[in-house]
Amino acid sequence: MKNILELSHVSYLYSEKTPFEMQALHDVSVGFEEGCVTGIIGHTGSGKSTLVQMLNGLLRPSEGQVLLNGEDIWRKPKEITSVRYRVGLVMQYPEYQLFDETVRADIGFAPRNMGLSEKETEERVREAAEFVGLSESLLDKSPFDLSGGQKRRAAIAGVLAMRPEVLVLDEPAAGLDPRGRQEILGRLQEYRRERRASVIFVSHSMEDMAHYCDRLLVLNHGEVLMQGTVSEIFCDAEKIRSAGLFVPQVATVADRLRRAGVPLPEGLCTVESVSRELLSLLGKGGNAQ
Amino acid sequence: MKNNTFGQYFPGNSLLHRMDPRMKLIVTILYIVMIFCAKNVLSFAFLLLLTVFLILISRISVRIVLRSIRPIIFIVLFTVVFNIFLTGGTGEPLAAFWIFEIYREGIVRAILMALRVIILITGTGVLLTYTTSPIALADAIESLLGPLKKIHVPVHEFAMMMTIALRFIPTLIEETDRIMSALKARGADFSNGSIVKRVKALIPILIPLFVSAFKRAEELAVAMECRCYRGGEGRTKLHVLHYRFSDFVWLFFFVLFLVSVFLINAFSPIKIAY
Ligand SMILES: Nc1ncnc2c1ncn2[C@@H]1O[C@H](COP(=O)(O)OP(=O)(O)OP(=O)(O)O)[C@@H](O)[C@H]1O
Ligand SMILES: [Mg+2]
Repeated sequence: MKNILELSHVSYLYSEKTPFEMQALHDVSVGFEEGCVTGIIGHTGSGKSTLVQMLNGLLRPSEGQVLLNGEDIWRKPKEITSVRYRVGLVMQYPEYQLFDETVRADIGFAPRNMGLSEKETEERVREAAEFVGLSESLLDKSPFDLSGGQKRRAAIAGVLAMRPEVLVLDEPAAGLDPRGRQEILGRLQEYRRERRASVIFVSHSMEDMAHYCDRLLVLNHGEVLMQGTVSEIFCDAEKIRSAGLFVPQVATVADRLRRAGVPLPEGLCTVESVSRELLSLLGKGGNAQ
Repeated sequence: MKNNTFGQYFPGNSLLHRMDPRMKLIVTILYIVMIFCAKNVLSFAFLLLLTVFLILISRISVRIVLRSIRPIIFIVLFTVVFNIFLTGGTGEPLAAFWIFEIYREGIVRAILMALRVIILITGTGVLLTYTTSPIALADAIESLLGPLKKIHVPVHEFAMMMTIALRFIPTLIEETDRIMSALKARGADFSNGSIVKRVKALIPILIPLFVSAFKRAEELAVAMECRCYRGGEGRTKLHVLHYRFSDFVWLFFFVLFLVSVFLINAFSPIKIAY
């Protein structure tokens, strides 16, 4: 499949050429497939936020290239804004993003910057707000009066209003209740389907990753440790642990069962798939111990 | 914004880093007095040597120290030009055109004046800003101004305000960075367009910045009250400042330097008049 976004030999240094120089990414080469949901995992400080800020040109690589549809996004630095409309990024701390008088005006910030008419802006705002589940009554409140979870939804809506081809989110589900998590992450999959877009997101929850992603990228100390499909990655539990992470509990359970002689296929890592397999085994009459 | 080295403090363990911050303040004052008392070529040469010595023992890279001159380069040039053209002299003018005449004295004076500004900035830089953490500096000021408490000047409160302000400047810079990134991600443009447009683009940064600063101030006040902060009365310090023997050696040297500058001024034959 085609890569919509690609990093080739990217390194990034914070505070370059000062005594506080700090290498956050080291020779990272990855491809993000078109139409996929790609998850990025890694321990705290492994460089996830740094990496996602490369994707829409908020940070410029110290070395290497970022390719969008095969074209270097920094070929014309003056036109980087057009890249940012195509690759929408929701940052890790959404409360810093909200500034306008009303939520409505805030979500409309990007469409207005894009030069859309008031009518079209209004339409996009309504659509985006509905999509993330912000009720109409909240739209005329001040963004500073929202709860943490509502702020996060508003921040995501502010980026969705650009209708980006690639949607990148840094920990979109942090601070949401379990139901809100499911809802938002489910919405991301829906967005991909409806708009034929690609979605990339960072999360610390392996369960979410197993459930919502097609592919995974594992970072460790600013380097790529693994990349591949979800089942490929979670099969190698040892390597995941070496990066200070865990595989989803249910994958461990499936692994133990297999070792105990239950004929389960490899690479199961969601509760649904494991229970489906177990039920079909039971259905066949093969009693699992 | 990224490469901002606010406060310019570079942690280290040189002789200057280890000096008591109060003593650093005192010798810095002596140093400044010296610079403004120097009156002739010889005393300037002496001060130049002293400054080079200080830069070397601070172990701060010379490149960084020289970079501190950049913001004042305009003032230096201005001083040089003024002094070259506007200093009268006794001998033959070296050059003359239109209403300007350039004398030997003018050139010497221009060089010395430029030198004065440069050693003032680099010297105080390595003595104070580069080698002293802002917090230690606030502590030192509180301690030195301590006697003013007798006449009911709220020294501790001022020092606390200063410490808190200094502590939060990097946080605010980081926050500004984040807000700007979030806005840029939605198509805000801070680097192109007319001045009016660029100033307008700043408004969306200031609002969330103020909101979070006020929120933070409130939280900090609550946190301080939770830990029973009630002002300076009877408070002890985590880092108690102690003068050491080496601090007095430094003081002795600086007093000695100051006296030498006076002596050179008085007895040196080559004088320049102001
Ligand atoms: N503005 C900055 N200046 C200097 N160093 C930074 C800056 N931002 C991040 N770093 C450093 O770069 C490294 C990678 O940071 P990054 O924010 O990308 O981590 P992360 O994987 O997103 O972590 P988390 O899971 O906590 O969000 C860290 O070691 C961090 O200390
Ligand atoms: Mg992060």
